[in-house]
Amino acid sequence: MISLQIFIQILLNGILFGSMYGIAALGLSIIFGTMRIIFIAQGTMIIFFAYLCYWINTLLKIDPYISLSIILPISMLFGYVIYKSIFREAALMENKNISLLLAVGIMYLAENLMLLLWSPNPRFITTQYSSVVLEIRGINISITQFLAFCIAFGAAVFSFWFLKNTFIGIAVRAASEDVEATRLMGVDPDKVNAVTFSLGVGLTGAAGVAFATVYSFDPGYGFVFAIKSLIALTLGGLGNIYGALLGGIVLGVVESFASFFVGSGWTEAISYGVFLLVLIFRPRGLFNVS
Amino acid sequence: MYLNKIEKRIWFIGLIITIIFVILPLGIDVERSFLIYFLFITFINITLSQGWNLVAGYAGQISLGTHLFFGLGAYLTAIVWLNDFFGIGVDNYYFNPVLIILSGTIPAGFAALIGLPLLWRLRGDSFSFGTLAVAYILTIFAIKLRKITGGADGLHLPSIVYESMKPYYYVSLLIAIGSTILIYTIAKSSYGLTLRAICEDELSAICHGVPILRYKILTFAISAFLAGISGSVYGLYLFHINPDSVMNLNWLFYPILICVLGGIGTVLGPVIGSFVSTALFCIGDIYFRQLHPLFSGMLIIIIMKFLPGGILQYVKYLFIKYSKEV
Repeated sequence: MISLQIFIQILLNGILFGSMYGIAALGLSIIFGTMRIIFIAQGTMIIFFAYLCYWINTLLKIDPYISLSIILPISMLFGYVIYKSIFREAALMENKNISLLLAVGIMYLAENLMLLLWSPNPRFITTQYSSVVLEIRGINISITQFLAFCIAFGAAVFSFWFLKNTFIGIAVRAASEDVEATRLMGVDPDKVNAVTFSLGVGLTGAAGVAFATVYSFDPGYGFVFAIKSLIALTLGGLGNIYGALLGGIVLGVVESFASFFVGSGWTEAISYGVFLLVLIFRPRGLFNVS
Repeated sequence: MYLNKIEKRIWFIGLIITIIFVILPLGIDVERSFLIYFLFITFINITLSQGWNLVAGYAGQISLGTHLFFGLGAYLTAIVWLNDFFGIGVDNYYFNPVLIILSGTIPAGFAALIGLPLLWRLRGDSFSFGTLAVAYILTIFAIKLRKITGGADGLHLPSIVYESMKPYYYVSLLIAIGSTILIYTIAKSSYGLTLRAICEDELSAICHGVPILRYKILTFAISAFLAGISGSVYGLYLFHINPDSVMNLNWLFYPILICVLGGIGTVLGPVIGSFVSTALFCIGDIYFRQLHPLFSGMLIIIIMKFLPGGILQYVKYLFIKYSKEV
């Protein structure tokens, strides 16, 4: 048996890493809510903003947490531009496969662009406080890991607040309940979609910064990340934005325990296995009470 | 009557093109010609895409597990060959038709096996991601079961048997034509109509007494069969089978791109799409070496944005417009 200390350490690592999946899944969930597509390029976007953060840090010597204030507006604008230039017509079409394939195209393009420009070598950001570790009763948390969790949590809280309390947020939630009825109430679906997209891609900006400061990344990781956040989304239940964050954390914990007990090579197989089982037996997610 | 006339004409043109392809190797230097290699890859792509087209275009189920069946076909060929499972001596497996068909049949059986839970419980997006997850798990098995699959390094087939490019060319031509005729027959039969009914409205199909699960599983298995044999032939060409070469995600994206480019849910769409996209990839590969995947990503976006129905639909549109004006 493992000691309680190790158990808590593994659990905590899982939660901290899972929050990364959670915030990506949250973005997916918000976009899925109104547009009914899985924005598969989400993971690649995260890696893209991680690179942006890396270059801002390396070339301009700006602290990654300060660069968040630059990257967030950029990413939101980016999401808006992507929607307006690429998804606009496809989003209103009956056939959702077109939007899905557009997302695949963006993913492919972004991934290969990054490979070409920045080589497939893994990168990571080192700062003066990267090696600072908080120790509480033998349980270690690095400060960057903790801050990444805080960013993820803050972004999630902001999204919830936005969806709950602002007028456009309420329109977004209404559209995810029933697009037709929302249109009849005089809400412009184009506007709603644009807001959703910039919020969703904005979340990838936050996730990118949080990810870049703690973990190493390379262009090929984006697709894996997208699939993982998809798993998180399924665990939480499609269309359930609170579930998405929790689903990410559950997935992180599962992976963390799996890599401790079974070995890291099989971790992926286990998380995909869990994904399949949940898809088949709990298609509405783990946290659906009804 | 009018449509039939066009169809006859298409059949006639198809026959002529096929004859040209059959006699083509007589006129040029097969071993050194790039054209033969290009056509070989195109034919492999046609077979693979016709399989995907059947599931996605006719039955309306977007499968994201094509690379799994493709890789499975290639791996089965290599494993049966290297272990001499037929007991006929290691030298007799090269282009053994039984081996190629077996490499399609087992993926088909496997597709039926995984299709049962996946197609029974999952619809739409969930089905797509379910197949993707299965493909991922199998890829991990291919890397981890080192004794059978050779791990990340993979399996090496005895490349001494290689003599000429000709058998590759003709076999791939045969399977490409075979798969196209198969899809055409299916599309014209009541089975094809049933698939269209499932694609249009599942609930309505159920209400009209269609056993949709059986049909979906059969379709999924046929698609896996086509992916398996194309994987097998491609594996025979590669001689070195590893997860990176045959279970690569490109084998998932290519058929999708090809079908989308040509026109999903049409018999000729994948054929046209294969020629166009393989040509584009080859040009990209030769002239802008590293930019080629970049190119294909851009291509997907541009096509989906401006020609969401594919080339074939656009040609049809032009044809109708033109014939009306005349």
